[in-house]
Amino acid sequence: MSDAELARVVREEWGRLIALLLARFRRLDLVEDALADAVEVAAHRWRADGVPDNPAAWLNTAASRRVLDRLRAEAMQQRRAPLLVTDSEHRQSRAGAMADTGDLVEDDVLRLVLMCTHPALAPEAASALALRLVLGVSTPDVARLFLVPESTMAARITRAKKKIVAAGIPFAVPGAGLLPERVDTVAQTAYLAFTAGYAPGSGPDLLRAGLAGEALRLVRVVLAQRPRESVLIALLALMLLQHSRRDARVGAEGALVQLADQNRAMWHAPEIAEALGLLRSFGPTPALTLQGAAYLIQAQIAAEHATADTAAVTRWDRIVRRYDALLQLTPSPAAQLARAVAVAESEGPAAGLDALDDVHMPASHRPAAVRGELLARLGRTDAARAALEEAVGQCRNESEATHLRKRLTELG
Amino acid sequence: MRRYLILIAYEPWNWNTATEETRAAFFAQHGAFSAFVAEHGREVASAALDDADTATTVRHVDGKVVVTDGPFAETAEMIGGYYEVELPDLDTAIAAVTLLPPSYSLEIRPVIDIT
Repeated sequence: MSDAELARVVREEWGRLIALLLARFRRLDLVEDALADAVEVAAHRWRADGVPDNPAAWLNTAASRRVLDRLRAEAMQQRRAPLLVTDSEHRQSRAGAMADTGDLVEDDVLRLVLMCTHPALAPEAASALALRLVLGVSTPDVARLFLVPESTMAARITRAKKKIVAAGIPFAVPGAGLLPERVDTVAQTAYLAFTAGYAPGSGPDLLRAGLAGEALRLVRVVLAQRPRESVLIALLALMLLQHSRRDARVGAEGALVQLADQNRAMWHAPEIAEALGLLRSFGPTPALTLQGAAYLIQAQIAAEHATADTAAVTRWDRIVRRYDALLQLTPSPAAQLARAVAVAESEGPAAGLDALDDVHMPASHRPAAVRGELLARLGRTDAARAALEEAVGQCRNESEATHLRKRLTELG
Repeated sequence: MRRYLILIAYEPWNWNTATEETRAAFFAQHGAFSAFVAEHGREVASAALDDADTATTVRHVDGKVVVTDGPFAETAEMIGGYYEVELPDLDTAIAAVTLLPPSYSLEIRPVIDIT
């Protein structure tokens, strides 16, 4: 009972506690360990004495005591470690409040997120750090999400924390002029963690899809404090729609199931409904950053799939128009390829092949795979076989290569 | 306050043949940088450096001192100058260096107190 309660508090309050401890002590090198120690003590103490009335405050007090012990030990050794920077007015205005009960201040969580996602950190490191510090995701889980050994991830997180302290990355909310750019980076950081969870890997994919869901939580944490950040609303809608398909995309024996073949009854309807609600909140000409506009269009495309009862009734004509808009905003070969597929579904395989001519992705097997599929639909079997064989040669993912070989056999 | 060394790198070009307007723009941009730094902190030191083809690199190789012509690393860009400044945090340092000429690449390095 107390273990479950502790797990809940850690999950819901970790980021706020880290932020609170940072605001008070400004010692990134101490607070995470102190809080981890406090959680460990709580696991024993709460089992024996019961869960305290205010579990978060209990953890805060216990962790604060640990930090103070360390600071005292350091003072004894006459060592001085660099302090984390906070903006001075923040320190002044908060000085009184900090001294008393340790109220959790929402704004501090935003400072924490912006510090973890600072553009001076490498994107993968920022993404990992945000999951660890803001959401309390364990280092082994973060490592599993990004498909790296645990020791590699631990070193990456340590290095990122060291850079924050050494380079003087502030624990502060930047001015209004800079904030939109920084919120865009928060969004990119969250989306990076999300897509990492869906990258093909050798491990159990379902588990990693669950971890990808943590990236959704990161977006929600920031939205809880800045509910009007449209780039985050658009991203949340996009992630919810993609995430809603997680159970349907893995078939028996862990093979990837293509969108058209997925059992749509397995899609998570409440998540789709939430996403559609978010999309409806955007007017016809929403005020968005370029990044936000690109997320919004991708979410609208995902929504076309989510609202089609069967693959056959998908409104591919609307999807083509969305891709046209996306390509105008941010041209990318991946979006061009997706547009070519949509054109093929909407106007037939010959039109799809024409659209495919403009796609240049030298390192990818996908254009050749799509070309092979479209040629097969046109009955041009020899050309289709050649394209599929080219795709197999370029394909590095085993389950996709298996699928391509199967298509080759079917062609006869 | 934190101390940063700002290393300025750019692709070699000829200042001597630069137009009057180009020179004026460079002076104005360095002036804006210095004014910003003075407002938020302090400029400790600065210098412009002669071209990288005048550089000499000294290394110890197998216990022997080896002197070679040229800079540490051969890249298209060369380090052409530096500022040492005291500023409150990295965001302020980033804001300061964005005032410098846009043809520069700028590396911001925290200075460690080893006393």
